[in-house]
Order: sequence, then C-alpha cells, then structure tokens
Amino acid sequence: MTGITFFRIRNFALLVLIQALIFSHIHLFGYATASVYLIFILKLPRHTKVNELLLWCFLSGLIVDIFSNTPGLNAAAATAMGFARNFILSAFTHKGLAEDFIPGAKSIKWGGYIVYSSLCIALFSFVLFLLELFTINYPGTLLISTLSSTLLTMLFVVVAECFSRNR
Amino acid sequence: MQTILNFLIKHNHWFLFLLLEGISFVLIVSFNSYQSAVMFTSANGVAGNIYSAIENIDSYFGLKGENEALVEQNRELLDELEATRQQLRQYTDSASIAQNLHTSNDIRFSYYTARVVNNSLNKVNNYITIDKGKNDSIRPEMGVFNDKGIVGIVYQTSGNFSVVIPLLNSKSKISCRIKSSNSFCSLQWDGGDTRYSFLVDLPRYAVFEKGDTVVTSGYSSIFPADIPVGLIESLEDSEDGLFYRAKVSLFVDFSTIDHLYIVGNSNTEEQKLLEESIEEK
Repeated sequence: MTGITFFRIRNFALLVLIQALIFSHIHLFGYATASVYLIFILKLPRHTKVNELLLWCFLSGLIVDIFSNTPGLNAAAATAMGFARNFILSAFTHKGLAEDFIPGAKSIKWGGYIVYSSLCIALFSFVLFLLELFTINYPGTLLISTLSSTLLTMLFVVVAECFSRNR
Repeated sequence: MQTILNFLIKHNHWFLFLLLEGISFVLIVSFNSYQSAVMFTSANGVAGNIYSAIENIDSYFGLKGENEALVEQNRELLDELEATRQQLRQYTDSASIAQNLHTSNDIRFSYYTARVVNNSLNKVNNYITIDKGKNDSIRPEMGVFNDKGIVGIVYQTSGNFSVVIPLLNSKSKISCRIKSSNSFCSLQWDGGDTRYSFLVDLPRYAVFEKGDTVVTSGYSSIFPADIPVGLIESLEDSEDGLFYRAKVSLFVDFSTIDHLYIVGNSNTEEQKLLEESIEEK
C-alpha cells in the first residue's frame, strides 16, 4: 500500500513537472498543446472514488496552471474530465476483469484504452479551449484546437503505454 | 429528511465537482486578464440592461413629482420671460419717447402654479376649483391658463382654494385678438359643445380666414398678450347683422386639464394698496 502511494505520488510529480516545464510551452501550429499529465488521471485504478479523482485532477491542473500562469484553466478542464472519467471507463469494463483494475492496453485492450483515453482527453481539451477562448463565437478555432490537441496528447498516451511496465 | 440527507451523501461527489469547478472559475476570472475582461464586460452589460429595465419601471412612480417639478420650472421660466420682456420694453421705451408716452402702463406679470381639484363641463355656467388660494397670493381677476392655452379667470378665493370661471361659462368674456390681422374681439361661450366657443363683436371690416389663430389681446391687463386661445372654425353673421360671429375651436381640452398656471398683474396689488391707504385717511 505504501509502495503504491509512493509510486503514485512519484508519477504524479514527474508527469506534472514534465507538463509544466516542457509540454505547456509547446503550442504546435498555434493550436495543439499536449497535456501529458492527464496520463496520471487515466491510469488511476477503476474504483478510485470520484471525490479522490476530482481532487487529484484539480490539484494537478492547478499546479500546471501555476507554472503556465493560467490560474484555473487546466484545473477546471481536468476536474471536468475527472468527473466524467468513471462514466466513460464503465463502458469498457467487462466481466473478465479484476475488481479494481488499472486502465491500460493489458486490461481493456488497445482499442478500448485508446477510445477511453481519446474521449477523456477530447472532453478535457474542449473544456480547456472553451474556457481559454471564453466565447462561443469562434467554433472553428475551438474545434481545431480540441481535435489537434487530442491527437497530439493521444500520441504521447500511446507512447507512454508502450513503455509502461504494468500495462 | 432522511431521504434528502441520504441523497446528498450519496451524491456528494457532485457537490465536490461543482465546488472545484467554481473555484477554478473564480481563479480564471480573477487572475486571467482576458477572461476577466470578457466576464466583467458582459456582466456589466447584463447589469446595465437590468438597471435600465428597473429604471423604466421606476420612472413611472416618479412621474407625479416629475410633472410638478416641470410645472414649477415652467412657472419660473414664465417669470423670467416676463422679466426679460420688461427689460426689453424699457430699452425700447427709452429709445422712443413717443412710444413711452403710450405705454405708460408698465405691466409686470407674475406666475403661479395650481392643480385642478374640481371641474364641471355639463352646465351652462361651469366652474373650476383649484388648490391655491389667498395664502398662495392668488387673488380674484387673475388669469388662468395651461400649456395649451387660456383656461379662464379667477373668480373668488378662500384661504387655500380658488374658483375659476373657465371659458366654458356664459359669464366669461375674454378680450381676444386675431393674430394675423390684429382685429380685436371678445370670446364668449353660450353652452353646448365644450370644444368650441364664439368670437362676438367681430367688426365686419376685420380681415381673417378660417384657421386663423386667436390669442389674448393683452388689453385687459388680466392676461399678458399672445397666450393662445383657439383656431377659427367657421363664420356667421351676428343676430343684428352688425358684426361677425366666429366659431372658435379651443386649444384647451377642458375635460383633461390638471396643471394650471395663474398669472397676476403685480401692479394691481400695488394699486390696490395705494387705494386702500387713501381710503384709510
């Protein structure tokens, strides 16, 4: 248990720092920004309490926000994603799984994991860019930003999954 | 109660979610200049609209006070106009001595406001009661008019009320002038339609047409000159055939009069005091 908590906090710190120091500063073509720290949320066990999930999301988003000087934006988007995560994940759960599995290519197959991650990240990106634009007058920009950021983040999600030890 | 509590406990993550999103939103609008600008601009827009809507409703409640203030302001303006006229007259008077000799009656009018408290229309001799009297320096023989035109003459006063003989009274006789041709005549009402009155004693040589404006002559020293009275509607011979008799449609709608102006010749009072002082001796 102590070991799991330690690994979890280590992963959390690592991902959030990588995000804050590197990925937050990359805006590909001015639209796409990868949000790799969400991998931490995606990989939390199936039966994590929603409250706990929300707090992790809010905290990680807030730290990323503080580093990138956008207080509240990532926090709001990540919290929205955390709230929806268990609903989305329940669609990919089947009887053969362990009671409290960790979402991944091993547990819910590559296809399931990619769809689940894409949905989560698309929701996150949509909320993030909606709040960043703070208007619905530019649906085109909103759509392009959301899709490109989702694709870019998914690239890192897949790469991370390939190198993950406990998939 | 238990059910509600259970429900709240079961769905506590909803509240946490809303709380965290709320915190995020507050952070967004307080620390991000663009989002806060958008937020507060639109918030101000909404607030502005709400304020103007409330103001629209609110203004109706202030209409009474507003009207009274306007009437009072009008009275002051009339006073001021009179003072200016006076000054102008002095200048023109000093310019021509000959004219000075003719206009020796140096009339100075002062104005008061009043409201109608009682009014009748359906009799041959109608009267209007107003809410100002002796205590407000209203005296008999003062002229009464409103923003449309002349109404009548003060007949009797008590402490706080006065009775006005309106144009719609067979006793009323007002000295008038046809504006376009300067023909003098008097206005009399003989009952019937409250929208019309008649010009009598209109000399046959007077030049006028239908639609000419009738104004006060300024000869009676009750009314200043040129207060509108009405428009000439039609023309007929008088009974003896020596004069014309013209039907005049009155500018004032007597069924709706409310705020009135009262005009008094302040020299009348001076004159009266002088006369009284002589009587005492």
